[in-house]
Amino acid sequence: MRWRFVALSALAVVCAGLELVAGRGMSPGAVWDVLGGGGDATERHIFLQLRLPRMLVALGAGACLAMAGLILQSALRNPLAGPEVTGVTPGAVLGAVTATALGLAGWESPLAVVLAACAGGCAGALLLWLLVGRGGGDPAQTAVHGVLVSAVLGGLTAMVLLVEPGELGSVVQWLVGTTEGRVWEHWHLLWPWALVWGVAAWLLTGPLTLLRCGDDIAMSAGLSVRRARTLALMCAVALTAGAVAAVGALGFVGLLVPHLAMAVFGADLRVGLPGAALLGAIVVCGADAAAQLSSRLLAATLDSGRLTLPVGALTACLGAALLLVVVRRTPSRTF
Amino acid sequence: MVIAVLTVASVCALCLGTPYVPPHRLVGAVLDGDTTLAGVVVNELRFPRLVLALIAGACLGAAGLVLQEALRNPLAVPEMLGVSSGAALGVAAPLVLTLSLPAAVQPLLALGGAALGGGLTLLAAGLGRSPSAVLLTGAAVAAALQAALLVLMVMADQLDLQLIYRYLLGSLSARTWEDVTGLWPWLLVAAPALVLCAPVLSVMRLGDEDAEALGVRAQRARLAALAIAVVLIAPVTAVCGPVAWVGFLAPHLARWFNPYAGAVRWLPWSAAWGAVVVTVADVPARLALAPVETPAGAWTALLGVPAGIALMRSRRRDRMTEGSRTGAAAVRTPMPGPRTDTPRPDVEAPPAGGRGNGSQEEPGARGTAPLPGETTGTEDPR
Repeated sequence: MRWRFVALSALAVVCAGLELVAGRGMSPGAVWDVLGGGGDATERHIFLQLRLPRMLVALGAGACLAMAGLILQSALRNPLAGPEVTGVTPGAVLGAVTATALGLAGWESPLAVVLAACAGGCAGALLLWLLVGRGGGDPAQTAVHGVLVSAVLGGLTAMVLLVEPGELGSVVQWLVGTTEGRVWEHWHLLWPWALVWGVAAWLLTGPLTLLRCGDDIAMSAGLSVRRARTLALMCAVALTAGAVAAVGALGFVGLLVPHLAMAVFGADLRVGLPGAALLGAIVVCGADAAAQLSSRLLAATLDSGRLTLPVGALTACLGAALLLVVVRRTPSRTF
Repeated sequence: MVIAVLTVASVCALCLGTPYVPPHRLVGAVLDGDTTLAGVVVNELRFPRLVLALIAGACLGAAGLVLQEALRNPLAVPEMLGVSSGAALGVAAPLVLTLSLPAAVQPLLALGGAALGGGLTLLAAGLGRSPSAVLLTGAAVAAALQAALLVLMVMADQLDLQLIYRYLLGSLSARTWEDVTGLWPWLLVAAPALVLCAPVLSVMRLGDEDAEALGVRAQRARLAALAIAVVLIAPVTAVCGPVAWVGFLAPHLARWFNPYAGAVRWLPWSAAWGAVVVTVADVPARLALAPVETPAGAWTALLGVPAGIALMRSRRRDRMTEGSRTGAAAVRTPMPGPRTDTPRPDVEAPPAGGRGNGSQEEPGARGTAPLPGETTGTEDPR
């Protein structure tokens, strides 16, 4: 188990390095110069004020989303319960967008965005809870209703955006998820939040592993199922809200990375949760690097300067492709 | 009921607005033509818009029913199969890339996009898979297409952005007679196809095996249903954008009001209810935030999804009480109890209950819900 962590950590470092090197305005050689303490003032500024925080935000957000997805999937016993399909991410987006439209938050006050996203995520989860709570704890129903709740919240977001069309340009990036223009302020908000809730989630891994076995087994083991599930869902919502406030609705990370983590680290969540965090960080960071490289490539071929590929688009496409593979490989009867 | 609601909604759509035209003067205003302000507004703005809403709603409702019946899944809506997103992508892409195209090409582009989205879904699902696998794949394809759309939006200018965003939600604002007349050729293709496929749909409800036994090739029929849905949706999407979730709500309304009819009779009802939904949604879309017009699609998503859920649920509850009364139906279709905490071993069985009168909900409710908890049970090495 240890060598897997070591290998993945090495991979994370490689991805982080790629992320630092990728991107425009600065050659890889210049990055090396700056790392060695040299470089001119502009290069130092680009590196220290733009690239470094961007990389850290990508790492942190990926870890948050992956952990949230794993917690949700375990607590709801539903392999498809990513934050996107349980109403948490759309709710958080709605919260962030509403706060921005009301003028309560903006680029100058990222803390308000985090809080608004958190409130929105809670509202989305609560809505699902209310809908499903009466229908029973059937995971199948949960997934169906989650998709529908997401649709409703998406409609609300659209309404808000149409009332305040001026915000559209700055808000679209939340809808798709991007690490463009993330600075130290975002990172300073993200890491304590992620740390607190990540530790809380790790403390809950024991009960969560029991919850994965089913309510009956968990109850006969003496676990207060309802309380454990509530706490776990709270953790998941908070982690998702932090990630959404930092980078927007990154598609499919919270849905698929947990499966990857289960495949690599097995079913024990005490190992799986940190593993999922690591994998999520790798995936988002690597995807961001790839997105930057490919958008540079595209811009060079199409000869248009304003083309930037947001990382969310890349993760969504990759995730969709991966999901297709999963669907095709699984016998049809399991669906 | 449909006719009453439709009439009220149509009159509202024609009367309300900034120059308010009282209902008793409506005929006069129409006859006046271009001579009075009211005549111009009603004839040139509100009337085409109403007609467009009716046509669009009918097309979307019919397409929704075709998809839901062919895939035997109450959630198989164009939004979740990549069809709507594909069509929207086809229309939005040239807009962002600032290619100037004649208006007649737009439905073709939308058709191409929709066919791409739906075809991708079927291709990825491998044609031979179970209906719910198709649905899950469709959701993935739709998400990927949506991502492509968002990339386009990120690239677009601020002005384009608002235009595209409004379009993507499905808006009927500022549509004229030209937009309406552009739809006719497509309707002429789609209507006979719908009539032809209706009987096949009612056979498809029995489940793949029974349908094959009756001489319907399930895969081909599904492909044909998708093609018809594409032809219905694409032109509408080209003109007024993907008005969301109408294809979800309208068939459920049709089933709610005529629970014991078959697919053949649901089809016209579903089209009628689709028209009602869009027309009704367009009224608040125009008036709610008065000087600003909101897109009708946002309202259909906001109101349609909860209403659809409520309909699905109440129907299930109805059937449960009824099943316990008659007994026979309950034996054939094992209803999901409200609290099924234990894994159900019979889940992988094909929806055997399909032959009952009211059971088309059942397999879908279980099947859509992609990966129920049962899989966790098998995956976890414990």
